[in-house]
Amino acid sequence: MDISLGKQSLIYQIVIYICGFLLFCEWLRPLEMISETQNVKVFFIYAGFCFFISFLQINWMISVPLKLLGLMFIIDGLYVAEQIFSGQWFAVVYNQVMYNIQVIQGQQWWEMTPLFRSLLFLILLWLMSYLLYYWFIIAKRMLFFVTLTFVYVTIVDTFTIYDGQWAIIRTFILGMISLGLSHFFKEMDREKVSLRGVKKAHLWVAPLIGVIIFSTLAGYAAPKLEPQWPDPVPYLTSGDRGAGSGPGGRIQKVGYGENDSRLGGSFVQDDTVVFQALAANKQYWRIESKDTYTGKGWEDTLDKPVKNVSPDNIEFQTYTDQVETEEQVALLNFTDDAEFNKLVYPYGIQELERFPDPFTIALHENTGEMDTLLEGNPDQVQRYITQYDAPSFEYNQLREADGEDPEEIKERYLQLPDSLPDRVRELASEIVSEEDNRYDRAKAVESYFSANGFKYSTTNVPVPKENQDYVDQFLFESKIGYCDNFSTSMVVLLRAEGIPARWVKGFTGGERQNETATIKGQTLNIYEVTSGNAHSWVEVYFPEIGWVPFEPTQGFTNNTDFHMDVEETDNEEVTPASADEPEQDETLGRPEQMREQQTEASAGQSDVNINQKSITLWISLAAALLLAAILYITRFRWMSAILIRRFKKMDREDTYDRAFHYLLRVLAHKKGIKRYPNQTLRDYARQVDAHFQSNDMRKLTNHYERALYRNENGIEHWRKVTELWENLIKRALS
Amino acid sequence: MTMQGLLYQPKIAEVLKNINKVMIGKEEAALLSVIALLAKGHVLLEDVPGVGKTMLVRTLAKSLDCDFKRIQFTPDLLPSDVTGVSIYNPKELQFEFRPGPILGNVVLADEINRTSPKTQSALLEGMEETSITVDGEAVPLNQPFFVMATQNPIEYEGTYPLPEAQLDRFLLKLKMGYPSAKQEVDMLTRTSGSHPIHTIEAVISRDELIDLQKQTEDVYVDQTVNRYIVELVTGTRAHKGVYLGVSPRGSIALMKAAKAYAFIQDRDYVIPDDIKYLAPYVLAHRMILTSESKFEGATAEDIVDELLTVTSIPVQRNVSE
Repeated sequence: MDISLGKQSLIYQIVIYICGFLLFCEWLRPLEMISETQNVKVFFIYAGFCFFISFLQINWMISVPLKLLGLMFIIDGLYVAEQIFSGQWFAVVYNQVMYNIQVIQGQQWWEMTPLFRSLLFLILLWLMSYLLYYWFIIAKRMLFFVTLTFVYVTIVDTFTIYDGQWAIIRTFILGMISLGLSHFFKEMDREKVSLRGVKKAHLWVAPLIGVIIFSTLAGYAAPKLEPQWPDPVPYLTSGDRGAGSGPGGRIQKVGYGENDSRLGGSFVQDDTVVFQALAANKQYWRIESKDTYTGKGWEDTLDKPVKNVSPDNIEFQTYTDQVETEEQVALLNFTDDAEFNKLVYPYGIQELERFPDPFTIALHENTGEMDTLLEGNPDQVQRYITQYDAPSFEYNQLREADGEDPEEIKERYLQLPDSLPDRVRELASEIVSEEDNRYDRAKAVESYFSANGFKYSTTNVPVPKENQDYVDQFLFESKIGYCDNFSTSMVVLLRAEGIPARWVKGFTGGERQNETATIKGQTLNIYEVTSGNAHSWVEVYFPEIGWVPFEPTQGFTNNTDFHMDVEETDNEEVTPASADEPEQDETLGRPEQMREQQTEASAGQSDVNINQKSITLWISLAAALLLAAILYITRFRWMSAILIRRFKKMDREDTYDRAFHYLLRVLAHKKGIKRYPNQTLRDYARQVDAHFQSNDMRKLTNHYERALYRNENGIEHWRKVTELWENLIKRALS
Repeated sequence: MTMQGLLYQPKIAEVLKNINKVMIGKEEAALLSVIALLAKGHVLLEDVPGVGKTMLVRTLAKSLDCDFKRIQFTPDLLPSDVTGVSIYNPKELQFEFRPGPILGNVVLADEINRTSPKTQSALLEGMEETSITVDGEAVPLNQPFFVMATQNPIEYEGTYPLPEAQLDRFLLKLKMGYPSAKQEVDMLTRTSGSHPIHTIEAVISRDELIDLQKQTEDVYVDQTVNRYIVELVTGTRAHKGVYLGVSPRGSIALMKAAKAYAFIQDRDYVIPDDIKYLAPYVLAHRMILTSESKFEGATAEDIVDELLTVTSIPVQRNVSE
């Protein structure tokens, strides 16, 4: 082969390999949207780095340290503050890894820290780079990977907010190019065409490109069927929650136990249904916000401008009309167990329908608390329909919201007690120091807890001592708690940094039932909200936008709302999924919450944001499965490499037998030449040789027959044919 | 020399070459006959007259430099017509033994099922023992001794079918079959002048043949292969379509024949391929089918084929043994 031709084939290899890399990028692309993964760019870069090094095919003595070094730099940049390669640096990483191993052993997957998850992910990228090099360049088999990519993109598109429209097109083009080229090479190889043929490759490549362009355009332009079945996500989510092994079960483990007994029988059961909600999506059910942090808990000490509002026009908005909304309708139906004298409402409430006449509504304008009064006395409304404009916060809009906060807001929602220890303020400025806009700062605080080993628990949560601050205790001492701890701490930290924020109470979306209902032409899901869904979260003020919900509680960290783009509106943003989280009012000691005690105080309230957590979990699981599948599919390759090395050195009497029978297995699996039990070795060898057009298998079999049927020394025969065997194995694998 | 892709022992190759000079398209029958000859066994040919049985045996005999004798079995044939008879010699004033055709080296027993059982047994005794009894005296047979018996497959009236117990005295049972049209044309061309049998010469002496037979006995058969044989043979006994399966004598026969076949291929050990090839010829005539399976149209060959398909070839060595 002359050099120019070799060069040409190298170019083709590079093209195929780049296609492989880009296909692989399709796997990484959705991560930012569908999981809490941040800094996806870093992963892209690392994947590119690994792919590049794999392609160079340099000695592993060099490539492994190089990749390891890259991995360490990334871990350092993302998570470790210490000087890289210093003793402390290694200590930090070591501690993290050990902690996570314990966590894994304890099967508490959700407690794995981001550092460790990233580490695993980077290692996965590393392995993938090696594997894809093998698939694309050495084995020239990419159909499997292309198919997997398609499946992945479609699944991600179906089950998450990720829009795979372009991803599918990209995958199609890349897949076609790499398949076409690899087929070309395989044909060349099979027909033993010298690479001279490559000179005329344009004859071959041009139609390929033509076909790809044509089918892409045709596929893009062709009419497509509407989805043939309803969105499966809600169904699956509900199924998941219903199953004992799902997160619900997990929470039970967390939430139950001593806690139940401590609370005694004075509270309703954990999963007592409070109300049924008919709504399009899972969303927060807001009740009220609190503005004043006392150092022990929350109070509403501001003047309470209470005004009577008409059910036809509820004049209460948490956001401005800059926010994109979608008109929706929901029906709430309270059970007899519920004793609410307040309205439970979704974000963006506009009006109430079928609101029983004698009732009036008293709105506390600051907090959003709406008392339902019957002849002036608080009473419960059993059932009402609410029309609302579900908000959808645009990601960039939030980032760019840099106007001045109104005085009124600053005055009320930056309040902090004088007794707040300085270290809380210091921590706050440390957390947000690297962020330049309000959204990212809030985000930094929100994710601070999950990144620093804060634990979600309903038990062993201490009550602050007489002179101790609730937030301070949680941030610096206990680091364990439930939604109130997390949300209160977030509000305090934000306020310390001058970001207006408030603490909100209500319910999470509840559990979706299998039925649906139609109201005013809208098909709505039915959610069952139990006292276990009681929750508290955070609202952060953004100039010109209004109050935006955040979800700091460990177990869900980032909220989907913020990953969303307005263009892809879908009300899921503000309705981060179910989160079941126990609350314990008595630890907070909030006297004015007595009215809701039955719902909120019930123990073992479950509330973990499954969507986010479980997506990560599922992805890791899928990656593990993928890896296992890959190892299984390629088992003959790596096993052969091991066995060739081993058998060559081995001189045991049965080595020949094992090697020979291993070859038969490889031939059967890789070339489809299976030996039937009634087929003699000689006959089989003829068949194999006919396939390879050689005599090698017959020679090998002859020697084996002598060892087998002549009872001759297997070792001697084996020495004679080792090379023959190795060649056959390699040919079978090619 | 190779034939059918096999490498042959040089002496045997010459014998087969001789036969092929005379016979057209009978390579397999020739090969099987030589196998039986080397294994000191006998062949039963089941075929119609005129397909070249006699010619095959004569050519074989001539190649081996052996006596060729032929017995045409008829209903009125007497045992003494086979074995020979003592005749009074008036000159010498004593009885003198006139040897019968059985005292040849290569004997063609034509249409063996047309004679009475009594006469049949005279031949069969010779085939089993190495001697015959004439007038109460044991007369040793010549060595080598090879019988090729034929029987007509069509049921004629007045035949005495060989009892199954007798049939397994034959190592192999085979059919020659009609030649193909092309082969028959070739045959006519070849025999139009002087018959080619007159042109061939002996390629092995009698002593050499006896030596080859000895070497055949020395061919190695491994345990694994023996197990395969036994598995096949016991398979016939367990088969539901078989009334009487193959006896242990059949196992021995299969092993002997396989040894000869291995030897012919210039190999000093038996492999399962040998067994597979020979099993139909060795086993089929040694079993009796049930009436049901006969009624269903199954033949013994079918059953052997079926057993060959279901029996696994031993390909694993038991090293610990």
